[in-house]
Amino acid sequence: MGEIYKVPVGPIHIALEEPVYFKVNVHGETVENVDILSGFVHRGMEALVLRRNYLQNMIVTERTCSLCSNNHPFTYIMAVEKIAGVRIPERAEYLRVIADEVKRAASHLFNVSMLAHLVGFHSLMTQTMETREVLQDVKESIWGNRMDLGANTIGGVKYDLDKDQIKYLLGKLISLKKPVRELAAIYRDNRIVRARTEGVGVLTKEDALRLGVVGPTARGSGVDNDIRKAYPYAAYSKLDWDVVLEDGCDVRARALVRLKEVFQAIDLVEQCLSKLPEGPVALQGYPRIPAGEGVARTEAPRGELFFYVKSDGSSKPERMKWRVPTYLNWEALKVMMPGNKIADISVIFNSIDPCISCTER
Amino acid sequence: MEIDKKEMAALLLTEFHVYIESGFDHRFSHEDHLGNVDMYISLHDKEDIHAVALLIKKHNGRVVTITPYVVDKGFEIAYHFDAYGIVITVTLLTEDSSVDSITSNLKSADWTEREMQDLFNIKLLGHPNPDRLILDEKMAQGIFKEYMTLSDAMTGAATNTLWERINEAKGEQDG
Repeated sequence: MGEIYKVPVGPIHIALEEPVYFKVNVHGETVENVDILSGFVHRGMEALVLRRNYLQNMIVTERTCSLCSNNHPFTYIMAVEKIAGVRIPERAEYLRVIADEVKRAASHLFNVSMLAHLVGFHSLMTQTMETREVLQDVKESIWGNRMDLGANTIGGVKYDLDKDQIKYLLGKLISLKKPVRELAAIYRDNRIVRARTEGVGVLTKEDALRLGVVGPTARGSGVDNDIRKAYPYAAYSKLDWDVVLEDGCDVRARALVRLKEVFQAIDLVEQCLSKLPEGPVALQGYPRIPAGEGVARTEAPRGELFFYVKSDGSSKPERMKWRVPTYLNWEALKVMMPGNKIADISVIFNSIDPCISCTER
Repeated sequence: MEIDKKEMAALLLTEFHVYIESGFDHRFSHEDHLGNVDMYISLHDKEDIHAVALLIKKHNGRVVTITPYVVDKGFEIAYHFDAYGIVITVTLLTEDSSVDSITSNLKSADWTEREMQDLFNIKLLGHPNPDRLILDEKMAQGIFKEYMTLSDAMTGAATNTLWERINEAKGEQDG
């Protein structure tokens, strides 16, 4: 029997882009257990938003993080719209889905490219990032920004698509299909990628349900809790699609869910563009926000994003709370990591698509 | 099979009447055009949160998050649960800043309860892992509330107000 050694990973560590602290106990090369500490970049956003009015908070919430930036104002706005009792124009519902799915595809490609980076397959990483660049160009061309789209507003959306833009968007999406298909095949079949991802970081379906994990972390363990189906919003219930599920329960399964969801996102945008109804993209003027409370949820790239807004009838919220997807997935790392090698820690960490910026709010 | 959320919400409400001994107020339910239902309930007795957690567990539900906020008498804590895709917000009032932990029944409450403990200094009774989550051990729990929130500092209200509060607190300790 060898001794148990304590290995600190973080808060500042070369494999972690953002600060979080893992206290890892190892036996030889094998992880025995892990404890997680966070709070190193806590920004007090939940206090900040109480000092801003409802319109300013559309801007604040979009800065919670960058990869799922669109979902924060999107969900916040839906909670506010519930309190105001307004229903947005149908065209805006479709435009909300388009912005969100473009962001999802870009976010998922970023995560799998980080996986390639962490397993040392750098040509795959650069190829994935290069493919993702098409989506970055799309975002910049249509919304004027590569990350924060500013697409949503209370009562609808801030952008519209004309015929030329629709043609451009469709052309870009079609051009993505072949390279993404080729990439997906490498992630799925390549010997090196499989060796580093298959059977690594296992989270059984029972554990996934017990911990209440969300997003691709849950769907990679066969748990069907996609909010777009379970709690439909915007135009999702009018589109033809199925929840992507994998039953491998490991790092590979979670990556495969993300890759399949890239295709799904392209398909959903194509459906939205073909069904896009005519009409206004937002309500006339902003509604008054009466006293009340409302909740809203969306399926962000990392999973369920939840907003609770409480209003006292003034121009600023009385209380706002948001629960980001990563928040529920952290505890799963304590189940995924034991029994794996030290070298797998960062690969498993990446597989929940962690967002510390979101977690710390 | 598609779940009729309205029917399920009515069923859950009936069960709430059985499980919650001290009673509750069903403040309102919000139903939208897509069939989603959000339910809002207020408990009369904060100890009934334990029974609510057991009921949610029975239905394979989970904790989405927990929202504490300051009211005149102490804290109101809004627990947001998910069962069958229905969001159930259960609010309780604690006047002594303590509340029973529900993490041993619903693991999904773990982090959000500990965050509440760190940021609002709400005591958790019976949490299986009540360690710090956000604040360093050297900092007092609830310190953001006591002295200066980061957002206050960022809006330029810092130096004087902060020191006034610290000196006031020190005066209370010394004197």
